[in-house]
Order: sequence, then structure tokens, then C-alpha cells
Amino acid sequence: MNLVYNEQVKLYARKSTWIMFVILAVIILGIAILGKTVGDLGNEEYGEDWRQQLEQENAELTEGMDEEQIAYDQVVKENNYYLENDIKPQNYDVWQSVIDNSMLSALLSLFTIIVAAGIVAHEFRWGTIKLLLIRPVSRTKILFSKYVSVLLFALTSLVFLLLFSWLTGAVFFGVNGINPTLVLNSGDGFVQVSALHEITRSYGFSLVNLVMMSALAFMISSIFRNSGLAIGFAIFLMMAGSSIMGFFLQYDWAKFILFANTNLDQYYRGTPLIEGMTLPFSVMVLLVYYLVFLVLSWVFFTKRDVAGH
Amino acid sequence: MTAESAMQLIDVKKNIGSKQIIKGLNFDIYPGEVFGFLGPNGAGKTTTIRMMVGLMKLTEGDVLIEGKSIKTEYKEAIRRVGAIVENPEMYPFMTGWKNLQHYARMMPAVTEERIKEVVTLVGLDKAINEKVGRYSLGMRQRLGIAQALLHNPSILILDEPTNGLDPSGIREIRRYIRNLAEKENVAVIVSSHLLSEIELMCDRIGIIKNGELIAIETVQEALNKTDVKDIHIEAVPLETGRNIVQEKLQINAAIEKEELVLSAKREEIPSIIKSLVDGQVEIFGVQVKRSTLEDKFLDLIGENTIE
Ligand SMILES: Nc1ncnc2c1ncn2[C@@H]1O[C@H](COP(=O)(O)OP(=O)(O)O)[C@@H](O)[C@H]1O
Ligand SMILES: [Mg+2]
Repeated sequence: MNLVYNEQVKLYARKSTWIMFVILAVIILGIAILGKTVGDLGNEEYGEDWRQQLEQENAELTEGMDEEQIAYDQVVKENNYYLENDIKPQNYDVWQSVIDNSMLSALLSLFTIIVAAGIVAHEFRWGTIKLLLIRPVSRTKILFSKYVSVLLFALTSLVFLLLFSWLTGAVFFGVNGINPTLVLNSGDGFVQVSALHEITRSYGFSLVNLVMMSALAFMISSIFRNSGLAIGFAIFLMMAGSSIMGFFLQYDWAKFILFANTNLDQYYRGTPLIEGMTLPFSVMVLLVYYLVFLVLSWVFFTKRDVAGH
Repeated sequence: MTAESAMQLIDVKKNIGSKQIIKGLNFDIYPGEVFGFLGPNGAGKTTTIRMMVGLMKLTEGDVLIEGKSIKTEYKEAIRRVGAIVENPEMYPFMTGWKNLQHYARMMPAVTEERIKEVVTLVGLDKAINEKVGRYSLGMRQRLGIAQALLHNPSILILDEPTNGLDPSGIREIRRYIRNLAEKENVAVIVSSHLLSEIELMCDRIGIIKNGELIAIETVQEALNKTDVKDIHIEAVPLETGRNIVQEKLQINAAIEKEELVLSAKREEIPSIIKSLVDGQVEIFGVQVKRSTLEDKFLDLIGENTIE
């Protein structure tokens, strides 16, 4: 569609968009370099005698600890899990580093919020909205093309994050097979999962937050025609969301608050925030919020006058 | 007039808040004419134009573009219109060419050749690959006009296109506007708050004040040459002068503020002066007041109050 193409052209014609990708790349590289040098990641090699190596590690770690401390030590626990289940530990490699980088999806959310907040508001600030709307194209289509463009940006930067993380990880830490099995702490004990499954899970859940917050920013941008406000508000809510939740937890209706539901991971690891919440419930709540955000954007964008000042 | 109107305003009203900004405009614009939309700042020109192109809703009334209502048949109506509303704002981080391509993609059947054609028409060939952020206001006006012409509109609306242009720029705009009207039968609406900047390009001028249309005048080509004008002559002695003019030339004259004031046609001026000089009247200055339209406009501006 021509309109989406137009939006992408405008997005990538601006330096700030490219700066986001550069920041992402620099951080990924930085994490890898730090991990390799300071963090000592990937330098620990398990060989044929991995059982002895693990025993020795445990011995070194537990030296001077009492029983209680030992019972709580995560590394010792993990090592014991390997020994009990007779699994050779994987060396730190590209797959683990990609999984570790899933925390960068918060940055992705941030960038998507910035793009979503600007895509409507900037047209008003630049005054170009007037020339944009006096075409034989409905306002609905124009708004839709802008929203699609935001999602496209999110997707592009996600692909970039994954690819660049993978390449960097491969160069720094090497590749142990196509889809190795990893041992991870699931909150209540260790489990074995395949690397691809874990990557999908950790990035997938963070996308929920990204989609919701960018829809929120998009709505604020359409209603108030001010990108600063939209960015500020959405980022504030994203950061403060969980603390705000803490505030309202005591109330019954707290489970209907957006932030109680954005972390779908709570149904896979650990326990739901509020008793009685279920995955379908959260999905429904998120869907309702999402629709409200988009419908409000649409109403304000299509019905309101484009006046001066 | 018998011609089909290109655009018709029918009792157009606009309220913003509790204030009525446009108070019932009725007029028609015909193909091939240049219509001047004249009024002091704050009179409601831009607001009217925003309603004509669907950026603002009409509180009452309707705008018909080639018979199609902007309210109910928006796409069909707007397809025929090219416009600049207020300042010609473009994306500053893209080149002029990219800006034009951007708008071209939003309209059916605008080819690369057509874009090149309008660029040449407005004389931007050299600067078209520069970023718009580096354009002067005059260059942006031209790019704005180029953008409005891309799809060969039958109605062209230009809001204060002479803003920020020097006299030679204004002359150039006048040339392509006249060309479009005369050769391509486009109906052109040009708004301005300065009569002097648009009177030479317009066929008709509508004067708007405080949201009301108070006059529509036809600008005759002849106006500047044969119409009766007010002539003020600083002469000593005044009495003698008046007698000469009244008795020899049969022209009524009055004395106002140390000046001889009379109405005459342009071609009569030399003989009036000659008679006065022959009658030993000394002349210190002759002032020819311009068309009655300008008087009218200036009077109106003087009274215009922005509530
Ligand atoms: N968005 C708005 N809200 C309130 N008043 C407005 C708005 N836009 C314009 N006006 C008022 O409407 C009047 C006409 O403005 P405008 O159409 O811009 O005049 P012009 O273009 O003739 O200079 C002015 O008095 C202005 O203050
Ligand atoms: Mg104006």
C-alpha cells in the first residue's frame, strides 16, 4: 500500500530513526564485550570430565558455608541439577546471549513508543497534516497506514535485535549446535527447554508490553497532537506500571488495571499477581484496552477539525 | 452567470466555541477565473479555506465542488482540488522531489513526468534535490504550488501565496496563475490581505470582513485606465483653480484641506493641469487616488475590529 510506504519513507528519512538502530547495535556489542572480558562468560569450558568439574565447583563454592546457605545457593543447586539428571552443562554460547539480550526488548518498547508518539503528532507540529489530509484518501486509511507503520517499525527493530544479537553472540561466544537444550531456572525448580523455545517465550512476552504501550502512545498522540506528552506519559506508565500496581493491589478491581495483565509470563513462571487471575482473563483485558486505545485514536483523528494554532 | 460553477459556497457558517467565525458565506467561483479572497488578518479567509478542503467541518451550509458536496462526497470533491492552506509546510528533512513524490503517491495517476513538469513550471529545477529545510520562504511557496498542481486540479486554492515573496516573485506567480486560468480553464482562488498584491491577477475580488462577505467586485481591465478617479491637486490659489476647472472644463471641484479635489477620467488629467498652469495657478502636487475598490477595501480595513 502506497500510504504505508510513504510513512516508512518519512520514518527512515529522519536521522533519529537511524540513531535508534545505532544505539541498539552499540548496546548489543557493549554487552558482548563486557560479558567476554569482565563477566568471564564463555571462558568456562566443560569437557569430558564435566562431572568432576561440577563437583569441584561446588566444593569451592560451599567452602565455609553452613547448611542453610548451601541450600539457597542457586549455582550449587543448578550444578546439582546437572549431576542428578546426568546432563552435560552447555558452555555459554550464542543462544544464551540472545536470551540474555531479551531484556533489550524494553529498549525496543521505548523506541516504538517514540515512533508511535511522533507519527501523528509530528504531522501537526510540522503543519504537514494539512497537505496530507486534503487528498482523495479517507482519514481512516491514513491513520491506519500510520499504525501499520508503527508495527512495521517494531517488527523491523525486533528482527534487527535478534539478528544482530545472534551474529554478535556467534562471533564472541561461538555456536553450540542448531537448537540446543538449556537448563533454566523456572522459578520453582530447574527445567530443560530448547533454546528456540526459550527465545520465543522471552521475546514474545515482552512484545505484549510493547504493543500495548505503543498503542497507548499512539492514542495520546492522536488525541493531544503532542508527541512529547505522548512519549512522557507512555514511558512513565511503562516504568512506573508495576509500582502503581503495588499501590492498588489491595482492591478488587486492581486486576482490571492494564499493568496487572501486561506480564503474561506470570502464568508460566511463578504465580499470578492477584489470586483468581487467569491467562484468558488477562488476554481479554488486554484486548479490551487495546481496542479502546485504537478506537479513541480513530475517533479523535477522523472527527476533529484541523484548526490552526 | 450561466457557466457551471467550479465551486459553490452555500450559506457557509462556522462556530468555534461560542463564537461565530464565519457568518454565512454565499458565492460561486467559475472555471477559468481567478477569484481574489480579500480581507484583513483575522477576517476568516483561512478558516473558510479550511472548510472548502474538508480540514474543518461546516457548522452550517455546504460547499459544492463541481456539484459534489465536500460533506457527503468528500473523495470525489477533493480529487478536483489542489490547495495550499496557510504556510506551505513540507517535510524539512526530505528533498523537494521526495516531498512531491510523497504527495503524488496519495493521488491517482500522477507520473514522474508530471512531477518533473510541475517542477519546471514553478522554476525549481535547480533546487529540487535539496532538502526543504534549506529552502527560502519563496522556494517553499513555489514547492507548495507545485504540490497543489500535481494532479491537474480544476480548482486551485492558494492561501496568501504572495506572503514572503518579493515583487518579482509575485509577478511570476501572477504569470502562472493567469496562465492556468486562461489556458487550462482552472478556477483559482487566491486569498490575501493586501489588495495591491493580487488585484492584477484577479478577475473578481470578494471582500471578507469579520466572517462576512461584504462585497464582490469585478476587476475590469479598463478600471485602471478609463474609470473615474479622485484627483487631489495641491494648488495656489485654490479659488482660482476651482473656477478654472469648473468653468473651462465643466468638471465639479471641491476644496478640501488645502487641496482641489475633483473626479475625472485618467485621460483628462493632462488637460486639467494645462488649464490650471495657463490660468497662473501654481501646482505643488497632483495625487491620483486609485480605484474605488481600493478605497472601499481601505475603508473596510480601517473599520475591521477583531472581536
Ligand atoms: N482554532 C481556532 N479557535 C478559535 N478561534 C479561531 C481558531 N482559528 C481561527 N480563529 C479565529 O477566527 C478568525 C479568523 O481567522 P482566520 O481564518 O485565520 O483569518 P485570516 O486567514 O483571514 O487571517 C480569527 O479571529 C481567529 O482568531
Ligand atoms: Mg490566514
